[in-house]
Amino acid sequence: MADTRSPLQSKTEVLIVGAGAAGSWLARRLAMAGRSVRVLEAGPGWKLDDLASSQIWARRLRWGGPLVETTGRNPFGYGFNAGWGLGGAALHHYGTWLRFDPHDFAMKTRFGRGRDWPFGYETLRPFYDRVQRDVGISGDAGAEVWRPPGDPYPLPALSPTSQGESIARGFRALGEHVAPMPMAILSREYRGRAACLYDGWCDAGCPIGALYNPLVRDIPEARSAGAEFVTGAQVTSLLWDKGAGRIAGALWRERDGGVLHRAEADLVILAASAVHNPALLLNSVSSRWPRGIGNEHDLVGRFFMTHAVLGIYGLMVEETFPHLGVSGAQFSARDDYAKARGDDEAAFGSYHWLIAPAAKPDDLLGIAISRPDVWGAALDPFMKRAARHFASMIAMVEDLPQARNRVMLAEPPRPDSPPSVRIEHAFAPETLAVWSRAKRRGLAVFRAAGANEPWSSGVNTAHMMGGTIIGRDPRDSVANEWGRVHGIPNLFIAGTGLYPAAGALNPTFTLYALAERTAEYLINHWRDHVPSG
Amino acid sequence: MGGSDDRAVPAGWTRRSLIGGGALAFTYLVAGRWRRLTPREARAEGAALRVLSVDDARTLEAAGETLAPGAARAGLVHYLDAQLAAEPAESLLILRYLDVPPPHADFYRSGATALDRLTGGKGGFTALDASARQALIGKLAAGGLGKAWPSSAPPAPLFHFVLRADAVDVLYGTPEGFARLGIDYVPHIEPLRPW
Ligand SMILES: Cc1cc2nc3c(=O)[nH]c(=O)nc-3n(C[C@H](O)[C@H](O)[C@H](O)COP(=O)(O)OP(=O)(O)OC[C@H]3O[C@@H](n4cnc5c(N)ncnc54)[C@H](O)[C@@H]3O)c2cc1C
Ligand code: SF4
Repeated sequence: MADTRSPLQSKTEVLIVGAGAAGSWLARRLAMAGRSVRVLEAGPGWKLDDLASSQIWARRLRWGGPLVETTGRNPFGYGFNAGWGLGGAALHHYGTWLRFDPHDFAMKTRFGRGRDWPFGYETLRPFYDRVQRDVGISGDAGAEVWRPPGDPYPLPALSPTSQGESIARGFRALGEHVAPMPMAILSREYRGRAACLYDGWCDAGCPIGALYNPLVRDIPEARSAGAEFVTGAQVTSLLWDKGAGRIAGALWRERDGGVLHRAEADLVILAASAVHNPALLLNSVSSRWPRGIGNEHDLVGRFFMTHAVLGIYGLMVEETFPHLGVSGAQFSARDDYAKARGDDEAAFGSYHWLIAPAAKPDDLLGIAISRPDVWGAALDPFMKRAARHFASMIAMVEDLPQARNRVMLAEPPRPDSPPSVRIEHAFAPETLAVWSRAKRRGLAVFRAAGANEPWSSGVNTAHMMGGTIIGRDPRDSVANEWGRVHGIPNLFIAGTGLYPAAGALNPTFTLYALAERTAEYLINHWRDHVPSG
Repeated sequence: MGGSDDRAVPAGWTRRSLIGGGALAFTYLVAGRWRRLTPREARAEGAALRVLSVDDARTLEAAGETLAPGAARAGLVHYLDAQLAAEPAESLLILRYLDVPPPHADFYRSGATALDRLTGGKGGFTALDASARQALIGKLAAGGLGKAWPSSAPPAPLFHFVLRADAVDVLYGTPEGFARLGIDYVPHIEPLRPW
């Protein structure tokens, strides 16, 4: 279960909870800077060889811990959106990596709605630039007319298939821009990593490492620098040192056998996802923190956000090879990314298009499920035609931060047991109005592309954000701009849970830029947080 | 590759190399011996079911076949049974994505019982002729059964959605299924270098 057993007894300088995107990045950076690092990960110790190309086998990679309840008018799709084990959800994420738009950082200031980030795009820009060089993003910055300033991508765009070309034709016919989607997938060999083969299996994890996931570099390099990854280790709560007024470490349970352990550290980073970070804080009760660590103002878990998702589908006249390409997207279209629009006042918030993801015959994002009304004798002829002519695109719609949307405990806190988590979520009417606008426009694009009778999905959800939001005011946010929990010198949070506003763009490039910024800060300001270190 | 337009085939395609496998095989008990079989083989060899009762299995198979003709022989029921016998964290069922609380066997059992109860009791659904089965499954999808569908079972449209998705998994989500559709499965990717 553990890489090595004996070091578990010893205290480390850094303890990281969760070996997903944020946890693995920080483990690598801090271990390479000479800190002793231990990472506790609830799920299994996946290896690249485990990533079998199958939509069915891919389901093993999703969260397999205690049930997370999802409630509210638009329940968050936790089962689909969460990962576990080394790599977390990032192990099977699709690598659609977009920088947030400058407006996404200043919602309150510019539009009087939503919330502001404690800094603007310019603060994060150098970190986006640095991360994209490290990771290798393929794209065409010049063609992305909406893109904020930044270095061009280190790699040329991925090659489109005829699925992408046919949908792009629809956008162009309506006078709208399309550009290659920036992807954390290599269009050419880069720094010893192989280029993409366009087989469309990214949802099952990319075993050749063309798509950046934590097993490609962060975890092996962190290990080489001495970091220890303990798998099957579910953290149940954080330990509070009353005398010192600091976090002392964490309690965790072995997955098989359930033995309870104590892991002590000078500094703790929660990187267990936007759902489990707040759950762990809420489960960490003591006389100092009766409502959970960092929860003095009842903000932990609140402002949970997800993107409202819409699928547009159609059958094109030409062959589209829908099972090929990449699971993310071939093209991006963001002409209607505005927050507010004069011609549609009910709608508030952005959306953007992810054009031509690879679609396999089965699974949640596959061909058959897009038409649940086709069954019986009609199914086989439909599938045979669609396997060659299917095309699709997805609109990702911005959710607005609302205090009532939250991660909470379904049962009273018990610091020595895994928290029982419940998520309550409903979209604001303005968000659903944007979703409806996207549907009208998306169907028009497909008609213009020559699809005969395009159809669309219902409202679905993707990505998890918020719940431990950052801000300047400790009474109005959980953590500061570096992710440090207000009032606690040695507790940091990393990941998409920090976002006070979600934008509509896929969140993970921003997560890495933030993690890189925090890593640099911690390396340079270690003594401010660990005085004796 | 079913395509005619070579230009549209992505560049990396010709570089791919394949290793075998990718088949959906699990362990089944056949005539007192544990064997690794695909669900289709398990059905053909009459492998024992571990979780589902024979009655529930028959009903689920008949309903799955009505939803996706060919799913019965592709081994729908043996696929479901193997997954329901596994630890929840190891399960490959699409139910995992839909936030349905375990035990997932209850989802299928109560759905099968509901179908039979609506059609005169045990074995009722399987006894129907094809058009009567289709009429009932159609009502399931539309939620048109009202109070006749028991509240102890999953909501009728959800049951329809999930069983159809399971049937699609076994029928079209495997290398055999891709071949049926005339497209290449192109499973595992041989690593270009050891990571
Ligand atoms: C199918 C899919 C496709 C996606 N595609 C994209 C995309 O194209 N572009 C994009 O920007 N984003 C995408 N995402 C989102 C992306 O995966 C996430 O934003 C990212 O992984 C979040 O990183 P994280 O570090 O916060 O959490 P994760 O990567 O999920 O890691 C959290 C880890 O913490 C562990 N953990 C949880 N609780 C505990 C505990 N109590 N103790 C110990 N460990 C614990 C979990 O097991 C997990 O391994 C996709 C997600 C999915 C599911
Ligand atoms: S399509 Fe490319 S990125 Fe996706 S799994 Fe295949 S090789 Fe990896």
